[in-house]
Amino acid sequence: MESLQLLGQGFMTVLQPASLALMIAGVAVGIIFGSIPGLSASMAVALFLPLTFSMTPTLGMNTLVAVYIGGISGGLISAILLNMPGTASSIATTFDGHPMAKKGEAMKALGVGIVFSFLGSIFSFIILTFCAPLLADVALQFTPAENFGICFFALTMVAVLASGNMLKGLLAGMLGLMFTLVGMAPIDGTARFTFGATSLLNGFDQLPTLIGIFAISDILKTVESMGSGKLQTMAVKKVKGFGFSLKEFVSWLPNYFRSAIIGTGIGILPGIGGSTSGMLSYVTAKKMSKHPEEFGQGCPEGIVATEAANNATIGGAMIPLLVLGIPGDGVTAMMLGGFLIHGLSAGPLLFVKNGDVVYDIFAACMVCSLIMLIVEWTCIKGFVQVLKVPKHILLPLILVLCCVGAYATNNRIFDVQSVLLFGAIGYLYHKFDLPTTPFVLCFLIGEMLETYLRRGIMEYKSFTSFFQRPIFDVFFFIAIAVLVWSVFKEVKASRAKKTA
Amino acid sequence: MFFKKYGDIVVGIIFMVISAAMILMALQLPKSAIIDIGPEFMPLVIGGITFALAAALTVISVIGLKGKLAALEGEEAPDCDYKRVISSFILMLIYVFVLQPVGFIISTLVYLFLQIMVLSPADQRGKKQIIQVIIIDILFTVIVFFLFRYGFKIILPTGLLNF
Repeated sequence: MESLQLLGQGFMTVLQPASLALMIAGVAVGIIFGSIPGLSASMAVALFLPLTFSMTPTLGMNTLVAVYIGGISGGLISAILLNMPGTASSIATTFDGHPMAKKGEAMKALGVGIVFSFLGSIFSFIILTFCAPLLADVALQFTPAENFGICFFALTMVAVLASGNMLKGLLAGMLGLMFTLVGMAPIDGTARFTFGATSLLNGFDQLPTLIGIFAISDILKTVESMGSGKLQTMAVKKVKGFGFSLKEFVSWLPNYFRSAIIGTGIGILPGIGGSTSGMLSYVTAKKMSKHPEEFGQGCPEGIVATEAANNATIGGAMIPLLVLGIPGDGVTAMMLGGFLIHGLSAGPLLFVKNGDVVYDIFAACMVCSLIMLIVEWTCIKGFVQVLKVPKHILLPLILVLCCVGAYATNNRIFDVQSVLLFGAIGYLYHKFDLPTTPFVLCFLIGEMLETYLRRGIMEYKSFTSFFQRPIFDVFFFIAIAVLVWSVFKEVKASRAKKTA
Repeated sequence: MFFKKYGDIVVGIIFMVISAAMILMALQLPKSAIIDIGPEFMPLVIGGITFALAAALTVISVIGLKGKLAALEGEEAPDCDYKRVISSFILMLIYVFVLQPVGFIISTLVYLFLQIMVLSPADQRGKKQIIQVIIIDILFTVIVFFLFRYGFKIILPTGLLNF
């Protein structure tokens, strides 16, 4: 009951005019970022991060949550209208969304997408609100050994992510690990790989790295195909309400619950994220459907599955973020940055020290979802206008904003330059067909991995005594199993390819 | 086309070189006196794994090269506007290095204009469009600078304009 009471207080804080206004603005900006291909939710959060500097912690975090939710959900707009996923999360939305738009059912497709985005988020936030504190209690008993186990487990997800071309996926991640080694080593502070440069002593900052890898490389990628420079839009048939009947809605409910559970579950596992959960639930929905042949031809159920799942991932991803301080994807990594800026350390102690902030965030999540539903539905026509801005003007403006955002993190020009370095790396990754997600995941986890390993060994004297801790064992052996299983599947798939 | 044909081999070799260099540098790091695994431990582990993976990738790609070349035979090279990519990248590079000494306002004004011109399709470079671009350029730069300065209390590099 205590959590309900705290949640109530959270709602009171969140619903104050100033916070409400900021959240509406945040959701709107997030949606715009999400809907423009090349501008991601993580970029939107990155750009908003410096703006929260002067706000109170609660206000700042609520704004970031708003941007996050808007950003993830906004991707569906361009996915449906232009067959271009605005964010990675909405990749699977294009499968059925765009065929619907071609049939003139764009409004219905958008309506379905928006409503199930909302329902997906709400489902995961309810889980977040009532299960996160329980998980926090468990997490409080974690020592460096367990944390090392979790980081190790998250790292092995790279192998799952990279399936299909595992060697390259793993290599893509290894470079991310290498970059975490630059700077002072954890614990003893030995300078490593700095080549005598003082700006390298602190290593590469997370924020500029992520902006570079995501945004700058995306800009370069888009430049590649700058032919006509203008986007096209499509004629849209008008519909009443959200465009679907109550009967249809009821028939989609089992699909919704299944997808939302998949989304939340995948969100909790670090490093997998909305794009995978969307795809996975799409595939599951197709497998379970009575008419799988309609999928891909413009079937609303496909949109229900992906949008419910990718938005449910938000709540899921916030569980490890809030409870353990481990970011599940690029966006939550940015959120982690937000916590640090406001002097909050995400992790078990957050619930003890700043319980009020945590419940404010929960309340903000739910209110923001509702705002998202309303804003998206009323402004759909406006968003379409933004998509018409010629890219040759838009991209340079984005680049300047990225540089400003990077500069604002530490007030040093080195971060701006490293943005470009990572932009170049991201672009080369694209050219060499290496996935960037493993790089980012490894870069985010690498430093923690080393810190926990060395701290744990200091505490327990040797690595073998880690195995006396059951939670560590669970994570460690699941990780090994995942690794072995992925390699096995990979080898089998490549053999099948050869014989075929 | 080059990337499709030889990309994997290049990736393998580059990663082998990087990891080998890292292992060599890590060996020169001081050992820790307090605990078993010092600052050189992780670089060695990561370097070792990377080297092994990169070597495997190189070997596999070299073995499979013949089949791959045959499979790619006759395939059209994708349309890629490298002139725009490289000139944009050079512009960005100059921009991030002059940002501090020259200042945000001047360098951004110049960079934005040039970058938009580079990206503009040929039919978008008329007098009217250029004036439009200049207006957007000035408005954007000034708004961002003062928004950060007075709104978010972050002073972007002022450089030559000393105020």
